Amino acid sequence: MHGRVKVRTTEEERERKKKEQALKVRAYRAAMGRIQKKREAGELDSEMLTLTVQILQRNPDVSTLWNIRRECVLEKLSKLKEEVEDEEEKPAQEEPVGDKPPVKEDKAHSIFTCELDLTEQCLMVNPKSYSAWHHRCWTLEQDPRADWQRELQLCNKYLKYDERNFHTWDYRRYVTAKAAVPAAQELDFCTEKIKVNFSNYSSWHHRSLLLPELYPNEQRDRPMSEEKLQQELEMVLTAAFTDPNDSSAWFYQRWLLGSGAQLDRAPRVAAFRLESQGAVLALDRPYPDLKQLKTELTGGEQKVELQSWLPVDSSGTSWKCQQSLDYQRNTIYSLKLCDQEVNLSPLPGPEDGAFYFAPPHAAASCSKELLAELQTQLQSCLDLLEFEPDSKWTLLTSALLMRAIEVSANHEKSLAHLAKLEKVDALREGYYKDLAARWTLEYELAKWPQAAGFPRNFTLAEDVLLASLPYGQYFVIADELNLSIKLREQLGDSVPITFADLKVKGDF
Amino acid sequence: MDFTTFVKPSNGDGGGDGDGQNGQKLQFWKHVEYIENHGKQEDDYEYCMTEFLRMSGIYWGTTALDIMGQLDRLDRKYIVEFVKRCQCPTTGGFAPCEGHDAHLLYTLSAIQILCTYQALEEIDCEAVVRFVVGLQQPDGSFFGDKWGEVDTRFSFCAVATLTLLGRMDQTIDVEKAVKFVLSCGNQTDGGFGSKPGAESHAGLIYCCVGFFSLTQRLHLLDVDKLGWWLCERQLPSGGLNGRPEKLPDVCYSWWVLASLTIMGRLHWISSEKLQQFILSCQDAETGGFSDRTGNMPDIFHTLFGIGGLSLLGHSGLKAINPTLCMPQYIIDRLGIKPQRLARP
Repeated sequence: MHGRVKVRTTEEERERKKKEQALKVRAYRAAMGRIQKKREAGELDSEMLTLTVQILQRNPDVSTLWNIRRECVLEKLSKLKEEVEDEEEKPAQEEPVGDKPPVKEDKAHSIFTCELDLTEQCLMVNPKSYSAWHHRCWTLEQDPRADWQRELQLCNKYLKYDERNFHTWDYRRYVTAKAAVPAAQELDFCTEKIKVNFSNYSSWHHRSLLLPELYPNEQRDRPMSEEKLQQELEMVLTAAFTDPNDSSAWFYQRWLLGSGAQLDRAPRVAAFRLESQGAVLALDRPYPDLKQLKTELTGGEQKVELQSWLPVDSSGTSWKCQQSLDYQRNTIYSLKLCDQEVNLSPLPGPEDGAFYFAPPHAAASCSKELLAELQTQLQSCLDLLEFEPDSKWTLLTSALLMRAIEVSANHEKSLAHLAKLEKVDALREGYYKDLAARWTLEYELAKWPQAAGFPRNFTLAEDVLLASLPYGQYFVIADELNLSIKLREQLGDSVPITFADLKVKGDF
Repeated sequence: MDFTTFVKPSNGDGGGDGDGQNGQKLQFWKHVEYIENHGKQEDDYEYCMTEFLRMSGIYWGTTALDIMGQLDRLDRKYIVEFVKRCQCPTTGGFAPCEGHDAHLLYTLSAIQILCTYQALEEIDCEAVVRFVVGLQQPDGSFFGDKWGEVDTRFSFCAVATLTLLGRMDQTIDVEKAVKFVLSCGNQTDGGFGSKPGAESHAGLIYCCVGFFSLTQRLHLLDVDKLGWWLCERQLPSGGLNGRPEKLPDVCYSWWVLASLTIMGRLHWISSEKLQQFILSCQDAETGGFSDRTGNMPDIFHTLFGIGGLSLLGHSGLKAINPTLCMPQYIIDRLGIKPQRLARP
């Protein structure tokens, strides 16, 4: 039960309401009793339809009654079919002349119309009734003459009443597929909806489904083509600035600035280290069982499949393989994981070995035009912040824009925005702290290959403050982590495991 | 049971010692009374008009009372007999009450109740398994019943039911089921809707996150993206909404809170403010929780109010499992381990 305000009523009113409700209860029970009796007797007739209407019109969520109506519809249809077959069996007395109206189809159609009318009435009572929406879909699926254009009009009408009703949007997607409405036409509809009201997350969502289809990105490192992306960025910022406190457009904006990665994409090699006694592998995203993925090591003429991977920790991002490998100096090694093949570099220092490392989350490249658009947007955000320094969404978005333009040059500035957000948006303080830790680690890991002692040593300066240590799996190729005592204490058991740790344990 | 072990504090709001300092205290005994009396007046209009979801109503009530350590106030025998009568002899599924049809939604509720009462052996569990398995479609999705409605809620109900029955192995096609739920994910926000292409919605996100928790596949989530969208559901009142620019609601607070907990991101919202919001939705006169402050209470929001407080660690309440929304001790007793991610 949602949104029913508790109101004080007089004793008299309460009594009156009680009587009224008692009558309703009696009527409901009588009707339900009669319906169940008839159903047991197999009487799926017109009276049954009338009885169910009475209840459904008030309470369309009683799904069993829709089931009964479907049984009635199927019964009527099968009777119609029998009638037609009987007709056909009779000897033809006279040939039909001209266009004889298809009586059977008309009759069937009127059965469906009756169901559609009822669902329409019910949806006026409760536009969020799962059962009523489903009955409408079911009915249309039975009807070979279903009028999908009419259904599209109905969606338009319902979306005018409530532009956020997700049932209507779901139904719209179902109908447009049936009616083969071109995606470009749907996009126009969406644009119109957004123009009427920017604060419409449902419209932005609908849009986000259409654009990647209409304007695909070849490299798949952005949600859509750069050209279209640029236009969308312009449009969404206008929307966001119309009411900077409305979140809908800002969410869309963050999606536009993101990578467009798929949820079920295969993990990629983040870091790898190989020595004679075995190897460690860090993935850029967790995978529950590395043994299921093919990992192949090539060195000169030699090809070895690495098997028997064991997890280094519970996250599924770092793995060890205790397979003794005949490491050959002066041989170029490469590692293949699924479709990805990476070349290994020889490990510096006295021991033999090779490694690979790719820092997380390299920003997608930008065309000149897109870069110019991002810079314009950033400037607009910074201008707005002059007037409204505590504007949460502007603070966050400008930090994201800075990072989309140039990550490392804007590192300190973007962290400053997060620090400010911890204050102005204190509910989500924990989120901003973790995000700052991520950005910091991305920054530090990007710098690591240039550091002395890479990849054996990793040093995090004392003054780098972190709430957590994400990307810990990347350190599995290191021997030594120089972290401040404070950070070590804070991390407790979750200090990342290194190659040296595994050696000490006797794994290698 | 021995009622003398529960000494009612004179001010009538036990269980809340030290919690909710800035606002209300938990009206512990009022809620116990509210749930206990729910359903005693069979001729009550609301009660009668909601018989189509009775089975879930009983699950909400028993679970809330169990979390409060007061399960013994309900008549176990009466409830178990009722549940047994609702199993459909033809399909094996459970109806919400007699005279209605079996459906996955009420089948899960029935199994949850029977697990609470350790009464699974009193029904034909194999028939339930057959019912669930029979509803899986070639694309991995699940119908709610034979009439063909598809929804990620049903994917959750299917795996939750089988998990509670200890029958996840060699029954449904888990890989296909996973693939379908993944196809309902959204690029924009990392969330999930009811079907492919559907807008993200906290209730459906709970179902999908719970689904991945039960199938041990939380690695498939984009935790950072989804976690951010979820923590953005918290509004200045402390309550959480289900979608952007919507009103806060106690039940959405549960869906979001449970999802964040499963993902190890509970610290991304303010627990203190959420607790204040939930407590503000209590009806101090009648007991029970409503969707929002000042509205009419109901049994559904009462469970999610109590459950939310339990997840937030409110004293005087038993721990609740975020994936199955049942007391943790029952989940432990069944030997079930839904997956949960560690805090980063």
